[in-house]
Formats: sequence, structure tokens, C-alpha cells
Amino acid sequence: MSAHLQSRQKILDRIRANTRTVSSADLESDYAALPRAYIRAGSLSREACLALMIERLREYDSEVVECSPEELPSAIAAQLNSSGKRIFVAPPGLPASWLASGFDWRMDHNPSSAEIELVDGVVTAANCAVAESGTIVLHHSATEGRRVITLLPDWHLCILYASQVVQTLPEYFGRCQQPPKLATYISGPSATADIEMTRIKGVHGPRFLHVILVHDEDVQPNSPPEPALPAK
Amino acid sequence: MIDHPVLDPRYAAPFPEAVLPVLRNPQLRKNVAHAIDVIQAKRGKLVLEKTDWQALRTAGAAIRSHVLENLASYLELFEARCAAAGGIVHWAADAAEARKITLDILQQEQAKEVIKIKSMTTAEIQVNPHLEAAGVRTYETDLAEIILQLGQDEPSHIVVPALHVNRSQVREIFARTMGLKDLSDDPHALTAAARTYLRQKFLMVPTAISGANFLIAETGSVVVVESEGNGRMCLTLPRTMITIAGIEKVLPSFQDLEVMLQVLARSATGERMNPYTSVWTGVTPGDGPQRFHVILLDNGRSQMLAKEVERQTLRCIRCAACMNACPVYRQTGGHAYGSVYPGPIGAILTPQLMQMHHAQTLPYASSLCGACYEVCPVKINIPEVLLELRSQVVNQERHDLGRFFDPMYLGLRIANLLFSRAWLFHTAQLFGRIGLRFFTGKDGWIHSLPSIGGKWTQTRDLRGFPKQTFHEWWAERDAKPTGEAK
Repeated sequence: MSAHLQSRQKILDRIRANTRTVSSADLESDYAALPRAYIRAGSLSREACLALMIERLREYDSEVVECSPEELPSAIAAQLNSSGKRIFVAPPGLPASWLASGFDWRMDHNPSSAEIELVDGVVTAANCAVAESGTIVLHHSATEGRRVITLLPDWHLCILYASQVVQTLPEYFGRCQQPPKLATYISGPSATADIEMTRIKGVHGPRFLHVILVHDEDVQPNSPPEPALPAK
Repeated sequence: MIDHPVLDPRYAAPFPEAVLPVLRNPQLRKNVAHAIDVIQAKRGKLVLEKTDWQALRTAGAAIRSHVLENLASYLELFEARCAAAGGIVHWAADAAEARKITLDILQQEQAKEVIKIKSMTTAEIQVNPHLEAAGVRTYETDLAEIILQLGQDEPSHIVVPALHVNRSQVREIFARTMGLKDLSDDPHALTAAARTYLRQKFLMVPTAISGANFLIAETGSVVVVESEGNGRMCLTLPRTMITIAGIEKVLPSFQDLEVMLQVLARSATGERMNPYTSVWTGVTPGDGPQRFHVILLDNGRSQMLAKEVERQTLRCIRCAACMNACPVYRQTGGHAYGSVYPGPIGAILTPQLMQMHHAQTLPYASSLCGACYEVCPVKINIPEVLLELRSQVVNQERHDLGRFFDPMYLGLRIANLLFSRAWLFHTAQLFGRIGLRFFTGKDGWIHSLPSIGGKWTQTRDLRGFPKQTFHEWWAERDAKPTGEAK
């Protein structure tokens, strides 16, 4: 037996000697019986839930604008224009209408990290968002992009639909029919408090997170949408 | 640094001795108290806001206990699912084996450098010095870990490892080691210096080492929780990734994260959620490292499962809330614990990882006030475990022949004898009263005693003996005529 298998067996034997052995059916029923009396569904109205999401994002110094689905392309263009940046990377599945003209778009067809390091910003969709903690969830699909493109560029514009926003973390997990293979949960920009507990924004990840919240539900926005820029 | 902290329990000084240099270092104590006050205030606010906090703790404790009761089954499931997703799972019975597996992988990769995500488990097995000795340069990438690595210091906290270092000390370390003479001590400037220092390493070094906050049995996924983004860099950019995780880190299913992620950041840093949480599963073509190894480390853990009281130690999710709440840690900081795991959790974890052969003074490094239990998000009854370990330490001493030369033991034997006969006791009282008179001040207090008695008087005064004992006073009262007895 190789050393590897010996250690594997040794560890599992030691564990089994010190714990009880149950059948897999009992294991499942034991697991199902675990107490879960915590809050698993939000109590806020949709308006209040979206308002909370926006408040949390702003606490994280993220810039948030709201718009209707029709206004989205112009809202994206407005954000890109005001960023002062030119070169953007985009996941291959991003809708063509989101790729505002007048910018240098690099579609992500597996360029090297060094190439991605040279772009100014990134535009992606999201999978879900959790209002209570202001968390944006990425599952790295074709519209959310590979992990590296939301990591190296210093500026991230994330398009979030109102219908994707839930109030509590358990609601997000409830929405996951299948656990994702890859996931990143982003709660505010990269930060550290390692020196005297002073919160510093922007250590290694993107320093600027901008969010466009698209009101795709039958709910009135709680503040008027940003004025759309004149079409190009 | 004159007093280089020793964080290997086999060689560290006993706690009461190790604590002395810290207690004489006002700067360090000020740094620790400041950091802890900030985290505690934030945590307290966020926990109050969570109306279901106790239900989350109950669920967290139940999930973690269930895992430990069925650990072998969940580890086998994790192994199968991780392997099916393209990961390679290794098993390490002890620290030496984990280090050997790590080095073998790195040598296969012909790696000369490796970037690291902050990990207590890799600190526990001292992977960095071993890799350096074998010619592999290690780069810590968490800001606090860089401060410690460049300053040749050791972690004193499991979440904020450099909380004992203040900004001017960081400035001095960075200015000296990065060659930045004009660096200011503004935390923004210091953080920016670390970003620049590491950026090229992230892009160039093809191998990385991480720990794990959680392993998911159902999916074979690994979860890393962090703030800075250095973790995402390490687990996304290199071509080969090695994760070293304690065997207790498993959760049954992906959904269990809904409990753990709600309690972890709130307990650890006083945030509703940490800035970045990453979940990955084996290897994903075109995204992230294309070779992925997990090393499952035992190193004393499986033996801790045997008894239910001690087993709860392994529920720990390393949030550090216990050390932030601990009145002892607040005064001593982390180095005195002589282990990478300080504070109340260290006081119960370290001696058990050492199988009670070392660190026997740690279970006594507590006032048993219970603050650690109250804040623990997975309800580890730390005082209960401390008491159990104390009884084990006493039992060990019972078999130690050296005890016959221990003044404490001899004193107690003599006391045992004196208390067994009234006349002996009264005689001892008489001699004691006469003897102690030489040490009693005019104010009726004893300020300083020689020999073993000095252990008491070095931190507190002792009331001098009264002129009469109670028995003498009672006898005298009875002897007086009844009319005057009032």
C-alpha cells in the first residue's frame, strides 16, 4: 500500500474508532432533522428590499443608478462615459446592446492575465444579489464572465436586475436549484483593516464597483431613474 | 526584534512566563486593546441587528456537531466529489506528511516561488520555513501576513494577525524591506505600497497555496472567505493551486453556507459580509488553475473526536470572536499563547493538538468568565472544555515524580496534615502569627513575602494576621461574666 493510501486509511480508521457509524439513510435523516429556526425568507416589501440593497451598496462606496429595461443601454453608456476610461473587457455572452459604441471592447476569449491587466474596466451581469448584506453574487456564467475579468480591472460595472435581488442570504441559497461550480460573493470593494483597524478601500481587487439596478419588476422605482443621455 | 515570539507549542515558554514581556510592553498592549475595541463595537452592533442570531448559533452548532459525528462519511463524500470535478485529494496524518506532499507537488511543478493566501492551517504545520529551506520562496499576500513576514514577526490573532503592530511600525518595516525611504505612515500609503509590491507576483508566480474556510461534501467545493482580494488573485491566476485544510472543515451541503456565512463575518470583523467569498470546485477549463490539489490534514484532530466535551473544539470556524471577547487575551495579546492559535480557542485547541504533551499551562490562561462561550457562533462551551483539560493536566501531574520537589505540592501536603488535627492547626496558627509579624507593615498589610509566598504578593497585598483567632475570641467571650457579654 502506498504511503498516501496508508495515511488515508489511518485517518479514516482513527475517525471511525472515535465516532459512531450510521447508515447512509440515517445520515440523511439526521441531517434533515437539524434545527433551522433562523429566518429563511425576507419580510420587507419589494420596494423596501430594493431600497435596502441600494443603501448597502452606497455604504460600500459603490455608485448605484437605476433605470428601466429600455433605458439600460443608455445608462451603461452614461456610466462608461463618466468613468473616463476607454478599454473594457466583457464576457462573451454579454448582450450586444450593452456594448456602448465609442469604446474599445475586448471580448473575453481567454486572453492572458497580462492582457486583462491592461484593460481599464469590466462590464458584467450578475446571478443574484442579497439586500441585507449588499452582496452581489456571480456564478461566472457567459454573461458574468470568468473569475479573472472581474478581478484584475480596477473598475467594475455590474448590471443587476431588480428581480435578482433577494432580502436574505437563505433566499439566495433557496434559488440555487443546482449548487454552482464556481461562485464569488462580492460585498463592497476590496478592503482591508489590517493596519490599526482603519478601513482602506482597494487592496488587490477592483477599487470601484458601479451598479446599474434595472427595474424589470412591476414595481415603481423609489427614486426617479437617472436622466438618460442623448442617444449617440 | 529582541524577544522573537515562539509559536511552536513544543518549544514555547509556559504561559505565565511568556506573558511577562508582553505585560511590560505598553505599546503592544495599547495596539491590541485598540484593535479589539474597534472589532467588538462593530460586532456588537451587527449582532443586535440580527433578530435570529440565537437561532443561527443553534443551527451553526448543530451542523458542525453533525459533521463531526459523521466525519468519515463526509470526508469520503468530499473526496469523491472533488476528484470527480478534477481535483486531486491527498491525506496527511501529520504536519510532516502535509509538508512533504506540498513540497513534492511544488517540485513536480518545478516551482521556485509560491504565493500564499493567509491560512492558519499552513501556519500550524509551519509550511513556509520548510519550503524556504527546500529552495522555494514563499510570498504571503494578505496585508497583515506581509507585515509579519517582512518584519520577521509572528501572528498574534487568527483574523487580524498583525493587530499588535501599529502604523509607524508598519511604515518602518515596509520602508526598510521594500526600499521606500519616503513612505508615510498613512495606512492608505502603506496599503498602496503592498499592492504595488505584490501585483507582479500575482501575475507571474504560477503556483499558490491556500487554506480553506469550508469544504463542501455534497459538491467537493472549497470555500475561501477574505477581504482584500489577494485570495481571489491566488486562487484565480496561477496554473496550480494547493489547498491545505484540516479534516474538520467539512460542511454537508452547499446550502449550509447560508448559516456559516451569516455568522462568520459578523463574528470575525463586525461586517455583514466580508468583501469577497470564493467557491470553486475542482478544475474549470479556461477559468482558474488547471491543476488543483487538496491536502486533508489530520495532525491530532481525529484523536480529539473521542470524547464529546473535547470534540466540540473542532466545531470552530476560526472567527476569533472568543479572543476579541476574552479579558485575558485583551491584556496579553496572542504571542504569549505559544501557538498560532491564541486566545480561548487556542487554550483548548493547542494542548489537544499536542495530545496534552505540551502547552499544559494554557487551560489555566482563563478566568472562566464565559464571555468566549457567549459570543461563539457555533456555541463551543470553551469553559467546559477548559475545566476538562485542567483535570487532565492534574491527572498527569499525579503520575509525575517531580511533584515531590514542587513547593506547591509540598505546601499542600503540609496543609493537609495541619488541617487534620486541631492542635496541629492551632500550633501552626500561633507560629504563623508570630512569623508573619516580621512581614506585616504598620498599616496591618503584608506587602511582600519571600520565596513561594512572593507569588501571591507580587500582584496583591495580604491582610496581616489579626491579634486573636476566632476561637480565642470566642473562648475569651465565654470566660467573661454574662452581664458584660453584650
